[in-house]
Amino acid sequence: MFRDPRDYQIGFLATFLGLGILTRDWSIKPELIIASIGTCCLTQLLLTSLSQPDQNPLPALKSALITSLGLALLLRADRIGTMILAGVLAIASKFIFTTDQKHWFNPANFGIITALLLTPDAWISPGQWGDDWWYLLLFIGMGGIVLRRVGRWDTSVAFFVTYALLEIGRNTWLGWTLDVSIHKLMSGSLLLFTLFMITDPRSIPNDRSARILWSITIAGLAFILRNYFYINEAIFLALFTLSPLTILLDKLRLAPQFNWHHSKEII
Amino acid sequence: MKIIISFLLACIMVLTCATQAIAFCGFYVGGADAKLFNKASQVVIAHNGDKTILTMANDFQGAVKDFAMVVPVPVAIKKEQVHIGKKSTIDKLDTFSQPRLVEYFDPDPCAPPMERMMSTAPMPTAQPATAARKSAGDLGVTVEDRFKVNEYEIVILSAKESNGLEKWLRQNGYNIPTGANQLLNPYIKQKLKFFVAKIDIKEFNQAGYKTLRPLQIAYQSPKFMLPIRLGMINSRGEQDLVVYILSPKGRAELTNYRTVKIPSGIEIPTYIKSEFGSFYKAAFQKIYEREQKKVAFLEYAWDTGNCDPCSSEPPTPAELKEAGVFWLDNTDNSSGNIQPNFGRTRPQSNTFITRLHVRYTRDKFPEDLMFQETGNQENFQGRYVMKHPFTGEIACDAGKKYQQTLRPRLEQEASNLANLTGWSIRDINRKIKYPTTSPKLDPNTPFWQNIWPNK
Repeated sequence: MFRDPRDYQIGFLATFLGLGILTRDWSIKPELIIASIGTCCLTQLLLTSLSQPDQNPLPALKSALITSLGLALLLRADRIGTMILAGVLAIASKFIFTTDQKHWFNPANFGIITALLLTPDAWISPGQWGDDWWYLLLFIGMGGIVLRRVGRWDTSVAFFVTYALLEIGRNTWLGWTLDVSIHKLMSGSLLLFTLFMITDPRSIPNDRSARILWSITIAGLAFILRNYFYINEAIFLALFTLSPLTILLDKLRLAPQFNWHHSKEII
Repeated sequence: MKIIISFLLACIMVLTCATQAIAFCGFYVGGADAKLFNKASQVVIAHNGDKTILTMANDFQGAVKDFAMVVPVPVAIKKEQVHIGKKSTIDKLDTFSQPRLVEYFDPDPCAPPMERMMSTAPMPTAQPATAARKSAGDLGVTVEDRFKVNEYEIVILSAKESNGLEKWLRQNGYNIPTGANQLLNPYIKQKLKFFVAKIDIKEFNQAGYKTLRPLQIAYQSPKFMLPIRLGMINSRGEQDLVVYILSPKGRAELTNYRTVKIPSGIEIPTYIKSEFGSFYKAAFQKIYEREQKKVAFLEYAWDTGNCDPCSSEPPTPAELKEAGVFWLDNTDNSSGNIQPNFGRTRPQSNTFITRLHVRYTRDKFPEDLMFQETGNQENFQGRYVMKHPFTGEIACDAGKKYQQTLRPRLEQEASNLANLTGWSIRDINRKIKYPTTSPKLDPNTPFWQNIWPNK
């Protein structure tokens, strides 16, 4: 059971979603969750059968499900069409923007940013996760397991440490007490992003040092966008902007490529 | 990119000799020994893109000559960017958006079905919650501008460091509380300007004003925030802030704290009608504690063109403009011709109002409030329902059944009330008029129907 690390991810994301619905009054709407899952899976089936007619399209559905759960967790929309658009674009990005089986963008991130760009009614709710320690522990605990299975914990650590140091440094310079920095960092969507979005092996550099450099750059850009351009979606936009560097970094450093079923060898 | 960056403004209120006053982002300064505490404050933020008009209700209770206010603002404010608003506009938004009590009357259970259908049509009337919330040079300080707007004398300052700013303020008669220095620093380092206002008492008296009129400031900046930290200096306790955010886009929410809906749509006993204010106060306190005192509450989110039920007529375009709404003339005709119809139809006004109620303390709200406007057009209101039992003569089977279901319903309402407010169920039950007389039973009715009405 759970031989494929993606099973874990699906389990955890679904748990988060369930917790969100049960314990918080988020503006998560059931119809949007269904729209996200339905759209992502259908788009995946359609595009796989079009691009690789001889291949069984079912295994790839797991990735589509992860993307759809990520969208349902992070993206908010007033209209169902917006979520459908985000789902279609997220999955389509994997087929359009791809080089040597690596994606230029994290699909969920691509869906979020394009929905924010193209529609008037999409938004993300960074404050709705609150800062409960319980949730923090849950996030880290569950995320940690997933990361060990997938073997890309270094991007999470490099990103979070860089981002945290920059925030703490700035707030200390401004004269705020430490609790202001801690409050800023204890955002659920920041953690979800750290643990699930920048760890996707299909869209992050293969080589470890390249990955760390890549994560630090994203953290730096996110920090600048958040604090100097007051962009609430800074982390997502930073990843979107810098994600294609993965392809370049892979070309520069020819490390072995990730394969979901051989993740243990890589670890 | 449709970047949802927004706005801000920060502010400090420096008030002297007040016994009770406003201060969402303010601290009071008084004589050396004055111990001043802030109560509920109201702020209206009309916001579109990176443009903001902020209205601050100065609910100042002290001597007007002692009033002064220091508001950090993201950009230097010129005379034409300052306006004096009307208190009645804020009161209007308050009445329009406040949590409401809705009443329904049970129909005569013995009336013919047609008549019953007619009378079950909701006849909501809204009862406003009245009691819930009354709710330079050497110093490194540059005087960027100095001007007068009616009774207000305004100075715009920029500062290099907080000691200098503090000294300047003290030298110029603004009595900054101890500790302000440290909190001014982050705003200075972020290059905010300081909007300092006090009253020209002569002009104030000549005009015959009784209270301070709201100050409105217009500015363009991507920052969309309220600096509550400053307001915590001279108030150790909990402070209430009601923010009305007006946006052409949709609902606003906080990005760095959770925004939680207040409980709504719950049936409560009819006696609450006469004490709705204290009910809502208690209910708010209960949910505030349940949410560990660290979230903001959504009390209302609605298009300003309609309401259902209405606690007041929707604000007119003129009233919205007075509240700072600056986008109405630039849009289609519908926005300029709101035809309020008390909820029967749903006219749209191109202005969405979000009412957020924040009760904050230093330990639970370490950061200033950061907002964002979203595309969320879903309506929400804090609404409590009371259903008056039918009190007329009942002499039919349907009436008998009605009476049998009445008691459990009233008990449920009592339990709802206890859950919402934390009040003792015994006290609640004492105030509820439970049906005492049993219905006139048909002597032929089997005895078991007393407890199994449907058999």
